[in-house]
Amino acid sequence: MNNLLLMVALPLFTAFLLPVMERVSPVLAKLAGPLVLAITSVLGISLWAGMEQPVVIQLGGFLPPMGITFYADKLSMLFAVAASLGTLLLWPDESEQPIRQSSLALILAAAGSGLALSGDLFNIYVFYELVAVVSYGLIASRPTAAAMAATLRYLVISAFGAALILAGIALVYQATGTLNLAQLAQLAPQHLHNLQGLSAFVLILIGVGVKAELFPVNTWVPEVYATAPERVSALLAGVVSKLALLVVVKLLVLVFQMPEAHMIMLALGIMGVLTGELAAWRATDYRRMLAFSSIGQLGTIFIAFSVPGEAGVFAGLAVALHHLLLKPALFMLARRWGGSLANLSGAGRTSPLAAGLFILLALSLIGVPPLPGFWAKLLVLVNLAGQGQALYYLGGMVILVGAALEANYLFRVASGFYHEPSKAVILSPHKGKDMLIAGLLSSVLLTSVLFISPLADRLHEIAREATDVETYINRVQPVRLAPINVAVVQP
Amino acid sequence: MDMHLILYSAAAGLMLIGIAGIVLPSHLLRIIFAVALLEAGANLLLLLASFKEGTAAPIMLESGFPANMADPVPQALVLTAIVIGVGILALALILALKVRAAYGTLDMRKVRQRMEHDIAEEAGISMPSSSQTPRVIVSKGTVDE
Repeated sequence: MNNLLLMVALPLFTAFLLPVMERVSPVLAKLAGPLVLAITSVLGISLWAGMEQPVVIQLGGFLPPMGITFYADKLSMLFAVAASLGTLLLWPDESEQPIRQSSLALILAAAGSGLALSGDLFNIYVFYELVAVVSYGLIASRPTAAAMAATLRYLVISAFGAALILAGIALVYQATGTLNLAQLAQLAPQHLHNLQGLSAFVLILIGVGVKAELFPVNTWVPEVYATAPERVSALLAGVVSKLALLVVVKLLVLVFQMPEAHMIMLALGIMGVLTGELAAWRATDYRRMLAFSSIGQLGTIFIAFSVPGEAGVFAGLAVALHHLLLKPALFMLARRWGGSLANLSGAGRTSPLAAGLFILLALSLIGVPPLPGFWAKLLVLVNLAGQGQALYYLGGMVILVGAALEANYLFRVASGFYHEPSKAVILSPHKGKDMLIAGLLSSVLLTSVLFISPLADRLHEIAREATDVETYINRVQPVRLAPINVAVVQP
Repeated sequence: MDMHLILYSAAAGLMLIGIAGIVLPSHLLRIIFAVALLEAGANLLLLLASFKEGTAAPIMLESGFPANMADPVPQALVLTAIVIGVGILALALILALKVRAAYGTLDMRKVRQRMEHDIAEEAGISMPSSSQTPRVIVSKGTVDE
């Protein structure tokens, strides 16, 4: 089972080895990164396939609350693999980037996997910060002044979020005397289902929400996605946002199982959909249209996860995975189409394949029937309708309005493809690699249409396992331990 | 007065000053230092989570652990947080230097304006005409390069 640790340790180790390796052999250094990620991806997938029960590792043999716990259930493994595989697929372009970028990408994969697998808040905080710091380096890899300014503004918001997470962790620790998620799950009903617990959840939600493009703390999104390299934008929007989301979902399911917590998440999600989709509707350039629509879609995912219990996790997982596939593919088209949307008129003739892919992705994003996007959204709407509360109905309505807005602005772009070509700008064809990645992701999307029902069963199973709090507690602690400083625990 | 109360209000105060310092001023250096203050407040809050007066340092002696030992977990966490905070502060200052070298100002509003302009220019969009852009009010307190 130590193979599981290799998913974090191997890329981390290689990342620091790369600069040395480059001195010996530049070719080897260039190949090492993708090779390591390919190994960890295969490793992760094989572990995922062979996993019958959640796997728990106490690092170094120390037991909680002192020790560090890795908890791998199917949900965590899915996102750990997504971090490895996503980074591999969106590997920084070697032709223009120095070896530093490869190191940063490797650390991103390692920290992302670690974030998904961690079983205590302390580690989650450390891996989250690691992901944050690495992403600053990746965004600023384009040496333009605008990229520096965008990175700085992102850094300030992100550091603000990190401080809020710390404050939230402090509140949790003050109430329970432990940071281990299994122990917290055990103690939460007594000690955290109160105002203090709710404040801790809100602090952590807003803090982690910076990466998940949550409503009030997402001002960095349009600036960063407009200035960062396409692959970095694709990684941030596709993979990193989902990892942050996974942290929120885990905490919500295991620790903060309160109706108020769900309501707050729902309200922020609704605001996200409204602001994001409206801004995307008004956007005039391709990159920022994608950035704003990404805010809207993450809002939808937050709304989906705000439904309590297994059903909410199931539906949220479906929309999250759908977005994870789609957004990187759309960003891959941005290298050539990155400018004003007006420049895209006539693009359907110069690059028919890219236009076709865009239309396919747009249809699934809006939720047109046979495509997976439709089933995911349908699942969310059915869930919301079944809750029988006004705010949940509002959430469902807002998702429908968001879909209408999406349809409007995406079709506006798509119809532009077949207008008379603009004479002022001649778009060069897409790079082969970019098209390959976009095509690969789109073909996965298309193939999944055929397997909707087995896929749904699989996701349902993952959701059932993820919401099984009792198993989580029992797997981590065969012997139920008391937290060490019981004296602090309030009666 | 109660020691805990004083310390808790200090932590809350530092965090409030930090948040106000991020939101209100437009000078980049002030914003960056406010981030450091906010982090200090959060760290203090974390330490307070298991603070008891008169406890011994959690260091193992030859005779074993001291009897009334302070809880080591928040201390380890705060140590980690401080290290991360210093790293991020250094990175922020370097980025601020680069931004100043490029735009010749540390005023956040001007930096943002220039950045938006650059992004629009790269995308090939004409900026909205001057009648539509919101007027930028430069307060007396801002430092121009």
